[in-house]
Amino acid sequence: MHPDSSTELAVDAVDVTKRYGPLVAVDNLNLQVAPGEVYGILGPNGAGKTTFLRMLFGLIRPDSGTVRVFGRAWADAGVQVLDGVAGFIESPRFYPYLTGRQNLEGLALLDGTDPTRSGSRIDEVLDVVDLAGRENDKVAGYSYGMRQRLGVAASLLRDPRLLVLDEPANGLDPGGIRDMRALVKRLTEGGLTVLLSSHHMDEVEEICDNVTIMSRGRVAFHGSIGDLRAMAPDPGHLLSTSDDARAVVLARELHPAVAVEPDGGGGLVASGASHLLSAYVADLVRADIELRAFTPTRTPLEALFFMLTDTEAEPDEPSEPGERFAHRQQAGAAR
Amino acid sequence: MTTTVAQPRTPTSEQVTDPGRPRFGAALRWETRKLRAQLRARALVIGAILAPIAVVLVVHSQPRPPKDTLFGRFATENGFAMALLVLGVASQWVLPLLTAIVAGDIFASEDQHGTWKTVLTRSISRSRLFWAKAVVAVVFALLTLVLLAASTIAFSVLIVGAHPLTGLSGQTIPASSAVALVSTAWASMALPMVGFTCLALLFSVWSRNAAVGIAAPVVLGLVMQLVGALGGIETLRPFLLTTPFEAWHGLLAAPRFTGPLLESVVTSAGWSVACLTAAFLILRRRDITGG
Repeated sequence: MHPDSSTELAVDAVDVTKRYGPLVAVDNLNLQVAPGEVYGILGPNGAGKTTFLRMLFGLIRPDSGTVRVFGRAWADAGVQVLDGVAGFIESPRFYPYLTGRQNLEGLALLDGTDPTRSGSRIDEVLDVVDLAGRENDKVAGYSYGMRQRLGVAASLLRDPRLLVLDEPANGLDPGGIRDMRALVKRLTEGGLTVLLSSHHMDEVEEICDNVTIMSRGRVAFHGSIGDLRAMAPDPGHLLSTSDDARAVVLARELHPAVAVEPDGGGGLVASGASHLLSAYVADLVRADIELRAFTPTRTPLEALFFMLTDTEAEPDEPSEPGERFAHRQQAGAAR
Repeated sequence: MTTTVAQPRTPTSEQVTDPGRPRFGAALRWETRKLRAQLRARALVIGAILAPIAVVLVVHSQPRPPKDTLFGRFATENGFAMALLVLGVASQWVLPLLTAIVAGDIFASEDQHGTWKTVLTRSISRSRLFWAKAVVAVVFALLTLVLLAASTIAFSVLIVGAHPLTGLSGQTIPASSAVALVSTAWASMALPMVGFTCLALLFSVWSRNAAVGIAAPVVLGLVMQLVGALGGIETLRPFLLTTPFEAWHGLLAAPRFTGPLLESVVTSAGWSVACLTAAFLILRRRDITGG
């Protein structure tokens, strides 16, 4: 966390609930983002991330609870809540029959800026997102990635103190994802507060200081990335050998701390601490069992993410991470 | 994307404490600019100027005048009668359609493009955006009415001729007076047209669908005309939004009477206020979940 001169929280959501009929989209959410912080909201589709961000922007109203942005709540301050806030919800959308520049000029007007005076600023943000040279093309001809970048440009146009990005890498190709993450990281280096929603653990892990994991509208975890890493299970590896049956027996006899089980795809899955896995692999070779593949299945944090969100989905079958997680939740609520 | 990413500006204390607040004029400029960029708006403006020429030429070339239509009997030989014939036909469904094409789409297009979240995450309030759209739609409706009226009257007189007009009571109206009366008759369309604009705005906000926003006011207008033509509904007729379209008849009678014109002010204003209020409340309370 990077402390800011302001002591006011960038985002302070207290007991926020939103229902759509019988569906509780956001259930009693508490979330605080300090100025200068890069905060991640993580969760599978339908977890309630976007609903919360819509409430933050005033697009929808919570049924109960309050969302304050830099100390202002919608009920008291109206649209002034958005002073110093920018971002986009889901994929950014623009008027297809206008050019990229015309869209930005119009949005500058809606920000209270005279486009004749905002021209150089528009050039600047177009340059930041590498759309200079394409700004006079109609948005209808833009690729998905270009629209995503135009969304970032439109956000930067407001000189925000808080940048809210809802799954910014969604739909981008690997190069686009890399560049988008690089852009967000560079923006945060200037002290900008960022609230980023994602369903990719690696994205949040790479960029964010703190994270809230949501599942079915509820907070499944919140804390620092460091806390999350400490909870992560041992990494799993997909294993393929010349004799899988012997490989399983060898693990059972010599490496009881390494769990080796048949995988649905035909090979084996080995889980355990890295040094124990290395020792197990060495013993496989010594036992003349050919090792044909040894591939990580998912990162430890990804595995934790799935465990946390799946655990929440099946409350009748608690697992160890779920139990640990409840502790985290209590700790978080006390913050 | 570039790898050399500029840092965001550090906001100055002035920006933080006194950020620019978009004025109503800014929202008006934005909505006007969007409308000018739309093909349909341009097509309507051009159509309002050119379509009357084609209609006047076609009717004028007919061997027999359309006698069963108001002023149809004299339309092929009198330019003022031709302008009033076109007015009578236009008020049945053309004027509601003309305004609904823009007004019925102006809110729904934000849903169609998913841009509510784009504009409502800026510094403009829903209220200002609503009124800017409403004003632009009303001004556009009046502009197309002015163009349609001017084109119809001018080309009717040019093509058919400016002879003394036979009024509804059989009286002869000199050409010099007929110009003013015909222009006033066309001008009386403004109020019900604003009413239909507001009706289209309401359908646009409520349905979030441009097709409904455009078609519903036209269909409703036709239904109201049918209802108005029925017997035994004298108490209901003044409240129909299509009734003001006929208020100009009194101007062409002898003696002249203007009571219906005054009633049309009340009826049109009532519909406009009711529709705008309902549309405003719907938009204000709405959760923006799409896009």
